Amino acid sequence: MRQSQSAVMERGVELETVHETEPFEAAWAGEARWFVQFYREAPGSTIEFRVQISPDGINWLDHEGVAPMTSEAVGFLSIPVSHFGHWLRLRSEQKSGDTAPMLRIYLELKE
Amino acid sequence: MPVATKESSVTTPEAATVAADLRDAIRSSDLRLSKYNPLPRILTFDDFNQGAHGWVELGGNYDGRGTLESMDEHFRDFRPPQLSNANFFDVGTHGGMTGTYSMKLATRKAPGHTATAIRRLTMSGRGLLQIEAYLAWKVEANLGGGEEANTYGDISWDANSHPSEAQFGAFTVATDLSHDGIRYHNVMRFQNSDWDGHIVQKWMYPTVAEPTPHERFRGEHDYGRYTDFTAPNPDDWRFLGDTRQEACYNEVPTKINWHYLRFLIDTRTRSNVELQFNNDVYDLRDVPVPPYGEKYESLESLLNFYFSVRTLGPHRNFLFLDSVVISADW
Repeated sequence: MRQSQSAVMERGVELETVHETEPFEAAWAGEARWFVQFYREAPGSTIEFRVQISPDGINWLDHEGVAPMTSEAVGFLSIPVSHFGHWLRLRSEQKSGDTAPMLRIYLELKE
Repeated sequence: MPVATKESSVTTPEAATVAADLRDAIRSSDLRLSKYNPLPRILTFDDFNQGAHGWVELGGNYDGRGTLESMDEHFRDFRPPQLSNANFFDVGTHGGMTGTYSMKLATRKAPGHTATAIRRLTMSGRGLLQIEAYLAWKVEANLGGGEEANTYGDISWDANSHPSEAQFGAFTVATDLSHDGIRYHNVMRFQNSDWDGHIVQKWMYPTVAEPTPHERFRGEHDYGRYTDFTAPNPDDWRFLGDTRQEACYNEVPTKINWHYLRFLIDTRTRSNVELQFNNDVYDLRDVPVPPYGEKYESLESLLNFYFSVRTLGPHRNFLFLDSVVISADW
């Protein structure tokens, strides 16, 4: 049986321009997937999501294999990730729009 | 009407002694369990090389529509536990006491924030109940900054002491128990420092029961995000004694030395019994366990343990648990 874990990284966070999820250790996992739900939508906005990786939980860079994903701040989206290091986080940035969305963010990990 | 008995059958004293000796002999030859001293029946043995074993973020109660707003604000963000290989910037993977992984509880970088993981069971008997763990507490390492990064509170860096030791707030081991309608918490907290980074390093306990979501529902309180959920008012905490609990933080935030913790309680009397931290043993029989005044339903035989970690400054605080054993004498 493969080990797995679902982590609710944010339960309803106001996106104040830029948000980064807390550093999360994922050394044991071979694959991951982010889910982002707009708990409060902000139609007319553009939000950019970047998957970031780290060797130490302190220094971060964009995952070279996952292109930034943009959203119009409505509904639900997911981003698959593999070949990450031992740490994962998701960076969210509001690129345009007058109202801030509220995000619910899950990280799903599997061996 | 048949009456359900509440006691298990007991064998003769001689046979019980032989059984106990046999259990000890078998356990002492078990490479993973010999570091523990459990009561006769091991309810759970959580080796975090094999997953989180049911330890989960403590969640608040929510309404029938699952709205965030219905949840107590200070119950919304206890953070998911992490299966950690204890990976650090200076040495790479530190690993666990046994194997590679431990369970890590991590706070945010927000003064007062608490991370909490809970283990949910029910009890099939009454009597002694014990939790044991090998644990370590750390602060997130800091890279960069000016000379101010070399001092925090009582500690300035001198190549021996490290300011991060003063940046760790507290960790707590506690129960959430209920039987015969009476709910209560046994709580022991290692308070490492205060809000100003002054070293405390003493054990504490609360003199009141934890505030509940139902009390908020009735409009009796509405605590903020960084409230101490166990007992919000600092005046409701007491030190176990004046003696400082010496420990092995070990100089920098990336060296992990595992400490033994054992917390023994008695559900028959709803009381504390004993706390062991490495080779220090505290008699807790006079430490109160305040019950809730109201009767509880839907919680019969509730048996929960939780660990929490609380930062008092803008620093991520970590509690690492190599493994955990819960045992009982029933």
